[in-house]
Amino acid sequence: MNSSHNFNIVVTFVKKIMAHLDEPDASKLNSFLNLFNQSSSKVIFNGTPFNQAMSFIELWSNSIVKTNHLLSLLDFHEIPGTNILVININGKVRFDESGRDKNGRDSIIPLNNTQPTQMNANMANRSIWGPYFGMSLQLVIDSAIFRNNTVGIINSFNYNLIYKPEDSLIKI
Amino acid sequence: MNNNFHNNVNNLGMYAQQQQQMNRVKICVRNVQGLSMQQLLNFVSKNARVSLMDAKFEGNTIVGYVNNRQDAQLLNKWNGVRLGNCNLKFEIMDGQNSSPHTQSTIMMLKNFLYRRYNPQQKMLDLSSLHNDQELVQNGLFSSIATQSKMFPALMKVISQEPQLIIESVNLAGNNLKDIFGITTLAQTIPNLKNLCLANNQISAFKSMENWRNKFKELNELLMLNNPITNDRSYRTEMLRLFPKLVMLDNVVVRDAAKLKSVFSLPMQIQQFFFETSELGQSSLDFIKNFLNCWDTNRDQLLPLYTPQSSFSYAVDSSIPASTVPESDQHPSFGYYLSSSRNITKISSEKAVQQRLYMGQEAINNSFKSLPMTKHHLDDDPNGYSVQTISLSQLNGFMITLHGYFNETEKPLNTNNSNSKNSRNKKYSHGYSSSTNKLSKKSFDRSWVIAPANGGIVIASDLLTIRPYSSNSWSIPKPENPTSTTSNTPASGVNNIPTGIPGPQPPIINQQGMGNPLGMQGGINNTNQGINPLNNGLQPGMSATGPINAMNNQPGPISLAPTLQLPPNIQANLNPIQLDTLNKLHLQTKLNSEYTYMLAEQSGWNYDNALKSFQSSINNLPREAYIQ
Repeated sequence: MNSSHNFNIVVTFVKKIMAHLDEPDASKLNSFLNLFNQSSSKVIFNGTPFNQAMSFIELWSNSIVKTNHLLSLLDFHEIPGTNILVININGKVRFDESGRDKNGRDSIIPLNNTQPTQMNANMANRSIWGPYFGMSLQLVIDSAIFRNNTVGIINSFNYNLIYKPEDSLIKI
Repeated sequence: MNNNFHNNVNNLGMYAQQQQQMNRVKICVRNVQGLSMQQLLNFVSKNARVSLMDAKFEGNTIVGYVNNRQDAQLLNKWNGVRLGNCNLKFEIMDGQNSSPHTQSTIMMLKNFLYRRYNPQQKMLDLSSLHNDQELVQNGLFSSIATQSKMFPALMKVISQEPQLIIESVNLAGNNLKDIFGITTLAQTIPNLKNLCLANNQISAFKSMENWRNKFKELNELLMLNNPITNDRSYRTEMLRLFPKLVMLDNVVVRDAAKLKSVFSLPMQIQQFFFETSELGQSSLDFIKNFLNCWDTNRDQLLPLYTPQSSFSYAVDSSIPASTVPESDQHPSFGYYLSSSRNITKISSEKAVQQRLYMGQEAINNSFKSLPMTKHHLDDDPNGYSVQTISLSQLNGFMITLHGYFNETEKPLNTNNSNSKNSRNKKYSHGYSSSTNKLSKKSFDRSWVIAPANGGIVIASDLLTIRPYSSNSWSIPKPENPTSTTSNTPASGVNNIPTGIPGPQPPIINQQGMGNPLGMQGGINNTNQGINPLNNGLQPGMSATGPINAMNNQPGPISLAPTLQLPPNIQANLNPIQLDTLNKLHLQTKLNSEYTYMLAEQSGWNYDNALKSFQSSINNLPREAYIQ
């Protein structure tokens, strides 16, 4: 197998996944979903399984604040006799601790006199990054990736936070 | 009568001891750099002929106690004496009788605290301290100096009373002009939920700034009747200082549900996930046996690898934040770096190829170049987390294990780096010794496992080595126990009659002696123990079950029908412990109660438990066994 540029393809693909995880714009969710095998992908997040990639991506998008991933390790094996490769990834992730969700909505109950709106407008897009958590991700993907095909290639996605800083506001 | 007598004697002894403690005088010895404690103690007893008790280092000084004032003065005569290279300086701490006085002040504050503490509400009422008869009588408000010392002293006493669980503090009506005098509250009770500062004279935000990023769990704050509440930005500032504040001066300022959703992940982290219970059982067996061989004799693992199998390891050298508990801020990866296949760090295609080991020989060499280790799956099962999924592409499965190991010895061979080392010597003098020190490491390891010839082979083995840190999945002990019991439905699954224990997956039905992992004994026994009950069940009925999205609980471990545990006990055991229990039970034929005792006394280590069973087999009563 010609693997001379294979590892660059894998690195690019993993970076793409990190970028998808960090993407707050809900309109771009579909392109993330398209990477997953629609019929049989297995997703595990912090030890909890998801029947479908869709339900995981929805949860990630609606119920988890903005994230910022930092890739620190990547290694992968192609499994001979199959069309799959296993990718092992480690990194760090921090969460937006500004108190706002991905849509910029916070939990503060507005006062009747609409005095704070101006400040909210200024702050709306500013994330306040908390301390880094450790993350470990294992992917099983289709070797079609080496033929420049990334549609539906993620067979399994096992994402786990492996260490947590004590001073984070986020409870896991 | 007898009891009373003994009590009196005990009381007398205690009283005498107390008297003695009261007379003790605290001594501080300065200029002790380079001296050992023993040197100093020898010197003191030989020359001054007094004994320095409870001595300990406090920075650059040694602090201890002598029996009484005379002894202290005897010791004081040796001021300036030379010992080794030091001119010792003895100092009697605090004024005359200070020690008993301090003791009684602490006692008084302690009594006061318990009088003001409400255990039902977990509330400490420190309101209107200057109106407290006892405090006033003890002169705590006689001067400004004593008054300003009192609060920090109170905080100190609180920190030494762990049984005081405080969620709420009331500091109303204390004439506070700012919070400078009480800032230590944030260090003493960082997880405080409710705080009342009403009826004080706090007027400036500046002092409140000290509590920024402290009190991260503060839910309610009462500041009514403080000038600060009239400030236009009061509400905004308080919201900024306390990120989880919901109630401010009896008004709801944040939507609690929204707040919770923003600051917590939608589901709690789970230590174990197994796609089916069979996969749970076999992956735990695999992991235990694999790591056991990995720690003792890696050669035994080679039959699991084929010419097509691949192994590689990589170092994630990024240091966890210093606020990650127990995190190693100065890890050393000397033994790993030369062959680390961290593709984000390698630019050369050739290196990426070279650091992938395929086939037994290459894998064997690579194994030998890694430090010898000790994993603690048996004695610290909470230190490990596992996920297992099936892989239809090769009819096998993939196990991912997160955890830690101790490095016990340097590698068997240092990977033809001998020549490299000598070449590198001039670049790395004084460096290699520290980069090669043995220590604890955290790791993530994924095995892709395929069935072959009635046994299994490892198709792929990927290992990440990273700095040690405590893990994210262990729940600290003091969490309220009701949360575990409310989650117990899963333990119901373990109650055998539901028939979850399906047939053993083919992969562990290995034959003959070629079984490198020694996966016999317990597993075969499990078969014998369980199959009779399962005769009527469809084979594989749960093996093909889809991933159950709702089941957050670790995959259930099949327990033998004769092993019946009280639900509350079972709920507190993790799958690894349950598995150990099950095997012990089947191996020893002990009843549930005795099996549990045996497992617990042996630190949940199967081998130790079996040894101690065999050594005490003659002393066990008949009722200890399954009837």
